[in-house]
Amino acid sequence: MITIPYLTAVSTYFSYGLLFAFGQLRDYSRRIFDWWSTNNLQGYAPICLAHEDFYIRRLYHRIQDCFGRPISSAPDAWVDVVERYSNDNNKTLKRTTKSRRCLNLGSYNYLGFGSFDEYCTPRVIESLKKFSPSTCSSRVDAGTTTVHAELEECVAKYVGKPAAIVTGMGFATNSAIIPVLIGKGGLIISDSLNHTSIVNGARGSGATIRVFQHNTPAHLERVLKEQIAEGQPRTHRPWKKIMVVVEGIYSMEGEICQLPEIVAICKKYKAYVYLDEAHSIGAIGKTGRGVCELLGVDTADVDIMMGTFTKSFGSCGGYIAGSKDLIQYLKYHCPAHLYATSISTPSAQQIISAIKVILGEDGSNRGAQKLARIRENSNFFRAELQKMGFEVLGDNDSPVMPIMLYNPAKIPAFSRECLRENVAVVVVGFPATPLLLARARICISASHSREDLIKALQVISKAGDLTGIKYFPAAPKKQEQEKNSIKLD
Amino acid sequence: MMYVRAVPTTDVNRNTEWFTYPGVWTTYILILFFGWLLVLSIFNCSPGMAWTIVHLAHFSVTYHFFHWKKGTPFGDDQGIYNRLTWWEQIDNGKQLTRNRKFLTLVPVVLYLIASHTTDYQHPMLFLNTLAVFIMVVAKFPHMHKVRIFGINADQ
Repeated sequence: MITIPYLTAVSTYFSYGLLFAFGQLRDYSRRIFDWWSTNNLQGYAPICLAHEDFYIRRLYHRIQDCFGRPISSAPDAWVDVVERYSNDNNKTLKRTTKSRRCLNLGSYNYLGFGSFDEYCTPRVIESLKKFSPSTCSSRVDAGTTTVHAELEECVAKYVGKPAAIVTGMGFATNSAIIPVLIGKGGLIISDSLNHTSIVNGARGSGATIRVFQHNTPAHLERVLKEQIAEGQPRTHRPWKKIMVVVEGIYSMEGEICQLPEIVAICKKYKAYVYLDEAHSIGAIGKTGRGVCELLGVDTADVDIMMGTFTKSFGSCGGYIAGSKDLIQYLKYHCPAHLYATSISTPSAQQIISAIKVILGEDGSNRGAQKLARIRENSNFFRAELQKMGFEVLGDNDSPVMPIMLYNPAKIPAFSRECLRENVAVVVVGFPATPLLLARARICISASHSREDLIKALQVISKAGDLTGIKYFPAAPKKQEQEKNSIKLD
Repeated sequence: MMYVRAVPTTDVNRNTEWFTYPGVWTTYILILFFGWLLVLSIFNCSPGMAWTIVHLAHFSVTYHFFHWKKGTPFGDDQGIYNRLTWWEQIDNGKQLTRNRKFLTLVPVVLYLIASHTTDYQHPMLFLNTLAVFIMVVAKFPHMHKVRIFGINADQ
């Protein structure tokens, strides 16, 4: 639940209204200006409709230097951010050859596998030399190597399901598999803040889509009851299949899904549960097995478990884990398996090695250390930010923490101020988030040391004072003593 | 410091979802009030003329953006709302919700203020009445997705 000061809400609407008005004025003058100049593209249709890219041209381009910053090193705890400059007010940006070493608070590098790892990297290089960077084929033609078979077994065992299927791209896992699982005559009930890949897959499937209030099992039950009673639209026949789609950790809120209640409701009404663990696999839970382990839900109760390898395992691709029948069906029908190139073999080797490290099968306890460190780091950082008076979303133990900014002008101000102090943060605004709720999203990694986090806190506090985003009163100074004792531990 | 809770809605249309958060109605009314003060200070006219100017400007701006422009200002939704105006998109097309009732009331109240402060003289009264008539008729539930004489219809 987000708590906004009323004055901030009103001033944010004013700011957006002003930006919108100026954008429209500029569009009008551009149209008048272009009416006089000649157009040498007679007979060609415009590439995009005039109104469709209004937001990109008039709002996004003005602060474009805060997004899409190129990096020139591995996304470790510290990263080299390439400097860019612009001669036409941020419409186009040119790279320079200089880069600055910044503290990386934006990469999804939860367990620190994003750069050289002493166990994984030698094995990946070996695999790169033995196989090649690409399999040059889809899985059913010639793209299945022993590494792929080992990977699917490994993932299934790790997640706790009988079988798994792996695809080469995380987004495509959702958007290619949901249409195969459910079609016209089915019902998809998805959380209101689900990721675009799920929305695309659901729209592409042809099933009816209903949305329930974010993370509110009571509303889910009401929607299920209503829809089962009404049946399919117009014909009112019973639904062929009902699937409820939720995520483990919501990437823009850092909240953990209320899985036990949702699974109980789905069992009661006989709906399938599709769990997208893109951000939670490998990052939460005692052995990193995700939200089921953290909340004590039996994996046999979740019908389809999906996840990606880009966040905690430092690789690429996604997986679906389920019963043997389900995976067999997907292998015969899913286009991502039949037609798309299979996941690159060295990347597959990276995932296998990362899972071995997490489970301790490489002979050391680095995996357990990493998991403990990310939990400690996240809880420490979140507690400190809240003490300073920032509005931080997300549950305890979640490594994703958005800091609310609200005002559109604070988005570039916060981002540029942090970059000036060599801290790289990711800021998100409309339309990825609701209009009012722009935020800076911090992702903590196991490779951040305590000094890194303290430096980050100092920089964020300074930037927060300058931009005025400490919406809550700071905790009293008496707790300064406690903070010092934690530092010494 | 007054805080409000922002409950996330179930509206997937990012173009209209911002209207369901707290503070919108107050901002709308405050913009109109400050607009009146601005007009008074720039044009140095009587309060009644200023209200008439605000009412007519409000009519042209809201008619253009609520009932004329169709679609959304970003391309993420793949154009599924390209045939609907903003008025037809809010609240998922459900009629007679609180937001719609509020938005219908604002031009009527503005009309009453404008005509009262100008003492019901012509030609301001005629222009004001025409504006409020068009505004209120455009917001009727029966006018949902109706295009009179094919004006503003798609090919």
